[in-house]
This record gives sequence, structure tokens and C-alpha cells, in this order.
Amino acid sequence: MLEINNVKKSFSGVFEPVLKGIDLSLKEGEFCTLIGANGSEKSTLMKIISGEYLADSGEIRRSGEVSQVVQDVNKGTIPSMTMLENIALSRMKMPRFSFYKRHRSEVVEKIKSLRIGLEKFVDQPLGVLSGGQRQTIATLMAMNSGSKILLLDEHTSALDPKMQTLLMEYTAKSVREQGLTTLMITHNLEDAVKYGDRLIMMHRGRIVVDIRGREKSELKISSLLEMFHKFEDQSLLH
Amino acid sequence: MSTDLIINGLQQGLILAIIAYGIMIPFRFLDFSDLTADGAYPLGGAICAVCMSSGIPASIAIPISMMCAGIMGICTALIHLKFRVNSMLAGIILSTMAYSVNLRIMGRPNIALFDCAGLFGANIGYNMLIIVAILAVCVIPFAVFLRTDFGLRFRAVGLNPSLARQQKISIEKYTVFGLFIAGTMFGLAGSLIVQLQNYMDVGIGVGILIHGLASLMIGEAIIGNATLNRQLVAPLLGALVYQQVQGIALSMGLAPSDLKFFTGSIVLLVIAFKKNGGKNV
Repeated sequence: MLEINNVKKSFSGVFEPVLKGIDLSLKEGEFCTLIGANGSEKSTLMKIISGEYLADSGEIRRSGEVSQVVQDVNKGTIPSMTMLENIALSRMKMPRFSFYKRHRSEVVEKIKSLRIGLEKFVDQPLGVLSGGQRQTIATLMAMNSGSKILLLDEHTSALDPKMQTLLMEYTAKSVREQGLTTLMITHNLEDAVKYGDRLIMMHRGRIVVDIRGREKSELKISSLLEMFHKFEDQSLLH
Repeated sequence: MSTDLIINGLQQGLILAIIAYGIMIPFRFLDFSDLTADGAYPLGGAICAVCMSSGIPASIAIPISMMCAGIMGICTALIHLKFRVNSMLAGIILSTMAYSVNLRIMGRPNIALFDCAGLFGANIGYNMLIIVAILAVCVIPFAVFLRTDFGLRFRAVGLNPSLARQQKISIEKYTVFGLFIAGTMFGLAGSLIVQLQNYMDVGIGVGILIHGLASLMIGEAIIGNATLNRQLVAPLLGALVYQQVQGIALSMGLAPSDLKFFTGSIVLLVIAFKKNGGKNV
């Protein structure tokens, strides 16, 4: 569960608040996609939820630990460590004075479940993999961490179309299986329509669209695009 | 180059390797540019020399020296973490202060230990064996630690601090711990060198950091540091090679007073070599 009540945020040197009172409540296991034009402050909201930024006012309640995957794969992994070390690190909320290699078989099984043949690189430094493969491992690490809330900030945007589809399918499947409360930022409207139980759109620091349930499952890209342009045109007029 | 010079170089190289390991910990695992070596190494030597000249056996004097130098490492970490002082500046300030502290501890600029029973004797082979055993006792447990859950978290602190924070790893605690271990290694090296030379001079620490850093970088240039095993072998290999290179330079007629210039040139050459190879130093 994630509960955000009237959260506001300003940055020094910026005249008006960038987040102007956000209210959002995600149920346990709810998968919500978040769209909006550049500058709509989606990432600012994400950073406040993760605790990277402090809100000026308002309240945030989280039912458990938060893990996140961001666009920059270098932030979510350690390229000089092996794949085993990276994944073992992600599941160590309770470290012990025993060898991390005890997780090896479990880690190999998890990598095999990705079905992209990465298990043969388990003892190789992560840096030898392509950006897409590393982002897949970063996503697996976030899923593996035992957190209840998952934040995804354009985690597929730097990947080629094939890898994007693969990672999105894996993400959606794992989120369902683990019942993670998920908030995913994306600029890909197809993904926003296809995945998730709910869709919200932000515009200039406010949530302006909130679609869920049957309305979400029947949502068409054309109507979403129409909404998107409506708000963009409004901002051009102002 | 004479056999004596080679063997002497090996002995000195093994002690220098302990310093190089102490430098490797903050520089490579914590991303912390620590200059405490210049103060902690003579502090270890001074305390060991004073203890031994007071009749305390070497087996007790060495752990006392290590603890004091380790505490100096903790002080560097705390000055950086609590007062937000740049890590290099924190090390320089403490090393400068340590000079006066060492003089106070010793009561005079130098202490001769010819009449004290230390770890080493007249047999060079026996002396080398002792240094190798001490080095193994320090490095093997540390290598094992790095392969535990805690060791993995320790390595993550320097490699990706933002990921470490996300994993709820306390960067502060691991930094304090790492600098304590590094400090104990400097203290150990200081206490061994004064016993090997039977002499402690307050100025022994001048430039020791650059010798240790040169050793680490030479080792990494030879075998690299792409894997944990290579990273752990690099300081030892580098220190042994570095001491032999120094020996060769001296046997070819280089004046001992020119050694520091020679060392600095080696460090610059290794940096240039690594930069051209596309690696960061």
C-alpha cells in the first residue's frame, strides 16, 4: 500500500511549487502506470516516494520497503561485480557472516527464469553484458530485494524494441506473481495502455487523469493520445 | 645488483605490501582518498619503539601500535563524515598533527632499539618467513571477509554509493570500519620496520603514502584489478616489483636523495599508462 496526501514540493530559485498537492493511493499489489510530458514532475514525485527528496508538506505512507529501477543502468547495478554478487547484494537486508556464494543456485534459478540465456554469465562481471541485459538484471535485483513497493522510472526507455518488450513482459509477470505495489513511469503510451491496472497522467505538478478498472481495460491509445495532446495544447496556450 | 640488495628489497617490499594493502582499502573499496598513512605509519613505529625500549615485548607492542594507528584511521573517517571535511584534507591535517604527537610519545626525534629483543634476528631467511606469516595473517582473513555478505556490502560502498544507500547499507559505519583496518595495517608496517632496522626516526613517514600508492598502482598495471583475486594480489606484487626497481636504480648509480623524485616519476608514468589504456586511476 502506498498513500500520498497533499504532497507539495518546491525547489529554490523556482517561483512556484513543482508539485502542487499530490493525492494518490495505491492498493496492495496495484500496478499503476504514470505518464506525462517532460517537466510534468513525474520523476520528482518518484524521488519523493523513494525518499531521495523530502516533501515540503504533506504525508507519505508506505506499507514496506521501496525498491526502484531507473533509466540509468549504472545507478542500479555495479558493473565491476559479477552477476551473482550484484543479485546477492540485492537480497541482503539481513547480512550474515557467511559466504554470499551460498545463494548461487537460487540466483541461477532466478536468472534462468528470465529465459534469455544469461545464466552462463553468472560469474562474469556485469559490465560484459549489453545495456539491455544489465537493465534486466537491475529489474531482477529490485524484484529480488523483498520490497513491497516497486518504482520504475522509464526503466525500458534506453533499450531496443525487442528488449523493451521482453523486459516489460518480465516486469508485468513478476509484479503480478509477487503482488508488488508498483508505480511505473513511461513515455511509451502503448505500454501504459497494455500494462497495469490503473493509469494516471501528470501535468505541471498535478495529477490530471486517473483511469482504472473497466475504463482502463477498455482504454484505447488514440483516446489516451487525445488526452495527452489536450493538456499539451493547454500549456502552449498559457 | 648484489644478492644482498635483492634480499633486502624483498624484505622491505613485504613490509611495503602491508602499507599498500592499507592504501588499497580506502582507495579501492571505499572510494575514499585517504592520506592517513603518512601519520599512522610513523605513529605505529613510535609507539612500538617506546614500548620496546620500556621493556614491553614485541608481541604486545605490535598490537598496541596497530590499535593506536587504527584509532587514527577512525579519526580521519569521523572528521570527514561528521565535519564534512574533504577526505584528503582530513588525512593531511591528522598526519601533520601526528608528527607532534609522535615527538611527544618518543620524547626525542629518534630511538635506537639495538638492545631490545624484537621479532627479527640475524638470519634473513627467518626474518622473511616472519614477515610473510604476518602478511598472511592480515591478508587472508580480509580476503575471506570480502567474500561474506558483509564483505560484499563493504565493496558496494565504494563502487556504487547510491545503490549501497538503496540497499540500506550504512556508508558511515563501513567507512569507519575500513579506515580502522587500513590504520591498523599502517601501524603494523611501522612497528615491523622499526624492529627490522632497530631504529625509529620521527621522519620515517615522509612520502610513505606515495611509495604505497606506487606499489598498488604498479601491481594493478601488471595484473589488473578486474577481479577480486587480482585486486588482492596487486599490492603484494606491486610492492615487491617496486622495491626491486628501486634497488636496480640505486645499483645503477642513482643517489638515494633522488629516490623521491624517482618514485614520483614512476607514479606519473603508471597514471599516464593507465589513462592511455582508458582506465581511471
